[in-house]
Amino acid sequence: MSWIREGELNLIEKLSANILKAGPMPKHVAFIMDGNRRYARKRHVERQEGHTQGFDKLAETLRWCLNLSIHEVTVYAFSIENFKRSKDEVDGLMELAKQKFIRLLQEQDNLEKHGVCIRVLGDLTLLPLDLQQHIARAVVATRTHNKCFLNVCFAYTSRHEIANAVREMAWGVEQGLIKSSDVSEALLGHCLYSSNSPNPDLLIRTSGEVRLSDFLLWQTSHSCLVFQSVLWPEYSFWNLCDAILQYQLNHRPLQKARDQHREGQALQQLEADRACVADLLQHHGNGKPLDAQRRQEALLNYTASREERVQDFLGALQHKRDSFLTDLTSQAALA
Amino acid sequence: MAIVYEFVWQVLHVLLHIHRTLITWFRIRLRNWNGRLWSRALTALIVPMALSFPNQKNIVPAPGKRVGRRYRWGADGKSLEKLPDHIGLLIAEEEPRYTDIANLVVWCMAVGISYVSVYDNYGVFRRNNSRLMDEILKQQQELLDLEGSKQLCVEFLNNGTDKQDQQVLSCQSVLKVLSPDDGKLRIVQAAQQLCRAVEQREKTSEDINVTVLDSLLRESKSTPDPDLVLKFGPVESTLGFLPWHIRLTEFISLPSHVGVSYEDLFSALQRYASCEQRLGK
Repeated sequence: MSWIREGELNLIEKLSANILKAGPMPKHVAFIMDGNRRYARKRHVERQEGHTQGFDKLAETLRWCLNLSIHEVTVYAFSIENFKRSKDEVDGLMELAKQKFIRLLQEQDNLEKHGVCIRVLGDLTLLPLDLQQHIARAVVATRTHNKCFLNVCFAYTSRHEIANAVREMAWGVEQGLIKSSDVSEALLGHCLYSSNSPNPDLLIRTSGEVRLSDFLLWQTSHSCLVFQSVLWPEYSFWNLCDAILQYQLNHRPLQKARDQHREGQALQQLEADRACVADLLQHHGNGKPLDAQRRQEALLNYTASREERVQDFLGALQHKRDSFLTDLTSQAALA
Repeated sequence: MAIVYEFVWQVLHVLLHIHRTLITWFRIRLRNWNGRLWSRALTALIVPMALSFPNQKNIVPAPGKRVGRRYRWGADGKSLEKLPDHIGLLIAEEEPRYTDIANLVVWCMAVGISYVSVYDNYGVFRRNNSRLMDEILKQQQELLDLEGSKQLCVEFLNNGTDKQDQQVLSCQSVLKVLSPDDGKLRIVQAAQQLCRAVEQREKTSEDINVTVLDSLLRESKSTPDPDLVLKFGPVESTLGFLPWHIRLTEFISLPSHVGVSYEDLFSALQRYASCEQRLGK
């Protein structure tokens, strides 16, 4: 399969993998695949060749992740900022992406066999229409697969993603599905492009740069960040093992920080619900203060109704997104 | 077989921990050894002077030396190819040492960095704001001898409200004390504000974009995003530090803020000066 290289680990690699797997393993790894152009310069080849080799390395890395029982991978393929590059380079990248997605669709049987679900995160409307249609077909075709997940960030920046999530919540308010007081950290997280995935446990950036470049800023606030100096097309199984080792060393303190954050979030939600209930009682009550039990009942009722509203809204949002993709696929079929 | 793998894994991690501990121990020993070397060298020079000034036995260097350091640090800052406009000090360690952090803040300002943010994962600095401020003022005096002059002073921003009893004169540098609430929670609050505006038909959902959200999340128009974050401690994560603002921030890790030296800070700044930002191009 072109997107996931066939093959097994050799004996030493298998041994190391088994040793690593004795400890906590990341379930979701994110990659910033940086260094294709520097690799091309180093090898005195065309930039386009660097990007092609970068894609091949991605296929190999996905194979390693599966061997290590890492079932979800998110990659930063193309940033909205990358549109600033020369027209030739951008066109080349769009063409490469198109070829890869067409190839993917030709390998549907293999995808089904391996249970690969492909998702593309980003503002697809910024891409050429034919590429949008290929992407839509690939995503719709693999939607129901659930053995492993590949999220490709294309025409993506984290700020756009967060702003889009806020816009979706505002849409929900406009449609009367939710109230502005329902807006919370959890709800915002559910409105991101990555809402169907858990947060990445581990974020790896290659080529020695030590910044996040607008990638998954919301989702990686408590992830283990590993910056490696190897260029992406030269990435090796041992680089991946090194990153996982770093994850294992940071596992406990990060788990603790995450749990603490979650507790804080739950408390904030409770306080917000209490404030809303107090507000409601003030406006609709008959002036008499309620006893503690009635207040508690009112709080539980309010929380239940808020959660129901939120579920309905999220259902409507998912339907909107699914319709966008199926519309694109039917356009492609007609064309 | 699984038991064997688990055993090997345990051994591997024990070795890694020992390795880490040894490195930390060597680093501290090396610094102390270097420190002793310097103090021996200085004593060799100063002893003749000390003989003529029998009361000059204090550890704090003479005022002349402090002024000299201030100018040296300023010159160091100017010598770098680029200096961050806004530096974040992320303390990812359990027990913060206020003196060390105060030193870092004072050095950053002396070198010429306009905005300094201090952050920890538990919100400790926010809660103990006044203790941190006192420590910084004390170290400013100690390190830079600025009792008389007000060239370098600090404006404390605490959610936008300045404390009245602080010296808010011609401020060259601004200090911000941050906690996790300034991160995701601020974004959620901005989102609620926008949704309320939509609820009251003052805005539509289509009006919401990156620029609108960014202007709500910017404390003041002049505060830049952090260019550089120095992370102190063994945990490799941003731990909730200003998710919106760190899209282009360089992250440099330092082992610990305890006993950190000016040289540690300066070498991190040199590393920052040599990095190349292509901004997507």
